[in-house]
Amino acid sequence: MAFLGAFLVQVAARVRLISAAAGSLSVDRPAVRLRRFLFDVLLQRQTIRERPWVGVAHAFVFWGFLAFSGYTIVEFLRGLGLVDLTEHPLFLAYRVALLPWAIAVLVGITLLLIRRVLFRPAALGEAISTESVAIALFIATLMVTYVLGFLVDEGGTMGDANWWVHMIVILAFMALIPASKHFHLVLSPITVFLKSPELGRVGNLDFEKEQVGLETVKDLEKKIVLDALTCVECGRCQVNCPAWGAGKELNPKTLILQTQDALVAGRREAKLGEIYSEKVLWQCTTCGACENQCPVGIEHLPLIIGTRRGLVSNGDAPPYLGGMYNNLERRSNIWGLGYEQRQKFIEAAGLEMFDPARHEWLVWLGCAGAFEADYQKSLRALFDILRTKNISFGVLEKERCNGDPAKRTGNEYLFQELASGNIETLRNAGATRILTSCPHCLKTLGEDYRRFGYVAEVVHSSVLVAGLCGDDRREGPVRESVAFHDPCYLGRYAGHVEEPRQLLTRLGADLREPVRNRDNPFCCGAGGGLLFADKEEEPGTRISDVRFKQLQETGAAMVVTACPFCSIMLKGAQATAQADTQFVDLMTFVKERLQ
Amino acid sequence: MTPMKIAVCIKQVPSRDWQPRLNDSRTWIREQDAAFEMNEPDAYALEEALRLKEKHGGEVVVCSAGPSRVAQVIREALARGADRAIHVESDELAAADAATVADSLAAAMKDERFDLVLTGLQSDDMGLAQTGVILAQRLDRPHATIVMEVEIGQGRVRVKRELEGGWFQWVTMPLPAVLTIQSGINQLRYATLKGIMAAKKKEIRRAPPIPTRAGTSGVRIVSLYVPEKTKKTQIIAGSTSEAAKELVRRLREEARVI
Amino acid sequence: MILVIAEQHGGKMVRATWETVAAAQQIAAGAPIVVAVPGAGVGEAAREIAVAAVHEVVTVDHQALGSYTPDGYSAALEQAITELAPSLVLLPHTYQTRDFAPTLAARMNKPLVTDVTAFKRRDQILTFVRPMFQGKLVADVVADGPDPIATLQVGAFRADLVAKGTAPAPVRPLTVSLDETSIRERPEAPFRQARQAVDLSQAERIVAVGRGIKGQEHLPVAQNLAAALGAELAASRPICDAGWLPMERQVGSSGQTVAPKLYLALGISGAIQHLVGMKGSSTIAAINKDPDAPIFEVADYGIVGDLFEVVPALIEALKELRRT
Repeated sequence: MAFLGAFLVQVAARVRLISAAAGSLSVDRPAVRLRRFLFDVLLQRQTIRERPWVGVAHAFVFWGFLAFSGYTIVEFLRGLGLVDLTEHPLFLAYRVALLPWAIAVLVGITLLLIRRVLFRPAALGEAISTESVAIALFIATLMVTYVLGFLVDEGGTMGDANWWVHMIVILAFMALIPASKHFHLVLSPITVFLKSPELGRVGNLDFEKEQVGLETVKDLEKKIVLDALTCVECGRCQVNCPAWGAGKELNPKTLILQTQDALVAGRREAKLGEIYSEKVLWQCTTCGACENQCPVGIEHLPLIIGTRRGLVSNGDAPPYLGGMYNNLERRSNIWGLGYEQRQKFIEAAGLEMFDPARHEWLVWLGCAGAFEADYQKSLRALFDILRTKNISFGVLEKERCNGDPAKRTGNEYLFQELASGNIETLRNAGATRILTSCPHCLKTLGEDYRRFGYVAEVVHSSVLVAGLCGDDRREGPVRESVAFHDPCYLGRYAGHVEEPRQLLTRLGADLREPVRNRDNPFCCGAGGGLLFADKEEEPGTRISDVRFKQLQETGAAMVVTACPFCSIMLKGAQATAQADTQFVDLMTFVKERLQ
Repeated sequence: MTPMKIAVCIKQVPSRDWQPRLNDSRTWIREQDAAFEMNEPDAYALEEALRLKEKHGGEVVVCSAGPSRVAQVIREALARGADRAIHVESDELAAADAATVADSLAAAMKDERFDLVLTGLQSDDMGLAQTGVILAQRLDRPHATIVMEVEIGQGRVRVKRELEGGWFQWVTMPLPAVLTIQSGINQLRYATLKGIMAAKKKEIRRAPPIPTRAGTSGVRIVSLYVPEKTKKTQIIAGSTSEAAKELVRRLREEARVI
Repeated sequence: MILVIAEQHGGKMVRATWETVAAAQQIAAGAPIVVAVPGAGVGEAAREIAVAAVHEVVTVDHQALGSYTPDGYSAALEQAITELAPSLVLLPHTYQTRDFAPTLAARMNKPLVTDVTAFKRRDQILTFVRPMFQGKLVADVVADGPDPIATLQVGAFRADLVAKGTAPAPVRPLTVSLDETSIRERPEAPFRQARQAVDLSQAERIVAVGRGIKGQEHLPVAQNLAAALGAELAASRPICDAGWLPMERQVGSSGQTVAPKLYLALGISGAIQHLVGMKGSSTIAAINKDPDAPIFEVADYGIVGDLFEVVPALIEALKELRRT
């Protein structure tokens, strides 16, 4: 009873933390959530994904745990003297059926324990977690005692002792769960279900209600609190984080654990900027790898961006962002350039002003489309492809930056200003289908603008063109060796990994995949405002340099990109490395090889 | 240090982005088409004033003359940290000459007894570079222009003026004084969300304009037009030595940079 | 009578004064031109300007004007203008003039037109032409009152077109009384910014190198050009990353932002990260092998060619210029 009491008290404490937290929990698009629940929780897809051996071992432990639950409940009912079903023939059959599970769990947990203690993977942290070892031993003991239960005479002292050891271990386990990472047994099915269907969902701030973002621990919203309490410290977020991979200080796992510590210690008034050490927060590119890899549904991005908002609202953004904000505010683009260049481009490319009566698609040029010469070349290629395929399109007379750099760095006010201006323009133009070659524009226009009530079909050029060029082939004598760098906001956020590859292989490319690819690419380092961050003294290497090396190691002569910012960053890394890898945008590649 | 009462005179100008469209009489621009923003040198003056307030304590009062639309840049200044504002509201002041504007500002400001008045060295629209200096004369204060650095001492201010060709000069004068500030001397802070929210509650005092003075010192635009030359890249062809000679010639005679 | 207020530094006329005299001669249409030279010990400067075809040169020589102060100059020149009673006063639009001309105009209640690039006569009325809206528009402006003052944009009028007189013009002193105690400003000696730290943001001319320079060993090519132009050396990011030039010389969004009168880009492609650091330059010239390089979009002048051939030719052409 005492154990049960201990369990309940601790759980209650945590439930209080959750209910005391701000905000509400959203369960929109339940079908998507249920599907994810089925695959990630029940079928353990996320745990198996990157670490197959570990994942399968854990899967067995988990499935075993589920399988055993019936047994455990029945035994407890008997132990408490409520009802005795232990002689029921179904139960007896069930007991025998559990034996192979017990073996599986034992093997699984032993493998995991050996990995943790002997192999000491970096993802699990510097020191061996005694709590994890204890739990592992508990589970092992439970399985051993279970098996022993068949071998030892039930009525005798050994049998009794065995039964008691089993039960006490369960009780001890229960008392320990809430305060340990094993609380995920209870919480993670909830957090996985509650995880947003879209990656990196960060809601709007309501200025009427004077919301300014997350400043102190007590501002943390319910889902964040749940996330902090459910973290299993597996380190998948850490090893996939590009900042961490480039030797910087940002470690998503540490952020979550620091949050957990602060919450459990009751430090409600503590400033988040102090808990995390502010500068770490600015090293995040918002690539989403952390959130995407997490097996228990933790959403790191609302925490990072939410805290950034709190800092920015108080004027504590790093200096290089101040310059970018001034540019956005005064000139509506991140570089602070005059829009004559955009006008020149429109005239030179012979573009028409969008007219819904005549044009199927509105092509969104974006900041890069207005000012960046190389990206403009790729846009010209896109225009040629569209014209060849008889797709009618037009452009807006005036665009502002879609607001992504402001949103992801936490300047919500600026974002909403830019967004509302753009939405008015888009509504006046009557556009319902928007085509863009920039994955950041894709995410912001397609998803973030919905929160303002603006719903349009926003499509990335690779997707549309892959469809248009479905029958186009180019068979050369030799296939060109190509490495495709998946943009984070296209491959991971939007899930479009096949379309660019289809285009490339159909048109004669021999794809050489880099180490991190498809829906888990290694970021180019531009996102989250880091495009401008170079000025600061930063530890480690540049994220773009690390990624460039990965692309070089494929041995491909050509790297194809599908995002203007990936292109800028990687070409910069190429210049630094003094390499001669050819960089080609996907649209340029396609256009040059179409018959 | 004694707290300072600092005034910053800012002007709302058409945004740098804006493409010229003239009004019917071709004596001014079509205001309906234009987007407006804070004059850039004035933004640096405001930033300097805010830094001085942070260092010495006191208050920063932003002053602006013009039509009601000027409230936009006043609110922006308040959002960045100015404490209150004075708005000399008048439609005529939109395109008025420097002396007229200076008169109106001086009348609105003289009872406040500011320790320091800062303003940008010139405006991005008219570019007269006069208003700040004439204001100093009207307020009977010493002044310095094109100031890069400001040091406050006991009852006096020492400033670094920019001169031609990479030369500089420090000048000291007694307070109260008027300074016109050069662009780019500091990092502009951006308006934080909290600043924007707080700005809604800050005071903006309306002051009446001075009637246009009888014309002895007025200056009037009789015609406004688009210049003929527009910037186009000139690729210089020819043999290496020919092209080189030609480039040097154009740099000297056309661009006048060597 | 047109009065030209001269500016001299250390006893020598600044070039802009000659430009102002040329402008006065251009619009005088027979009216006499008088040049006033304020300062202390300006006899030699006065004699220098007296070779121009002007009616006379007047020295406003006073000890209190030894160092420039707005109080001193505006008080002294107010007296000079009152005594001489010109119908038009011309000054060059220099940093110094901008500091006192508005004060002078305000004290004397005269109209002041600044930054004039040309003159016109519309219906017999003298009209001043000046840029507006950062050069996007040009305005014809008239003075609403008599005897205006105008400052002329430096470089808008050509100093080499000053007509010389057959004999030097007479030089006479004009007495002004100044109460030194009423001069509120205390200036210190002008100085040049210390040269140890590289401050590209102050440079008037910059020669910048990019990947086209190919190797550290080739930097002297660019350095020689920089020396010939009296320019500072700068670079795009890869050059500084490779350590061929120090980080202080990097121009771009992650380096310095510069706005010199002349930016000469050698072997720089013009990636946007670099462009945003130098787009404010008054004149941009680019040399690059690639005719499609983005730098040519923003350059005023461009040569498509191998910088290792073009740069030596440029240095030659500059030497020739110095010789003539």
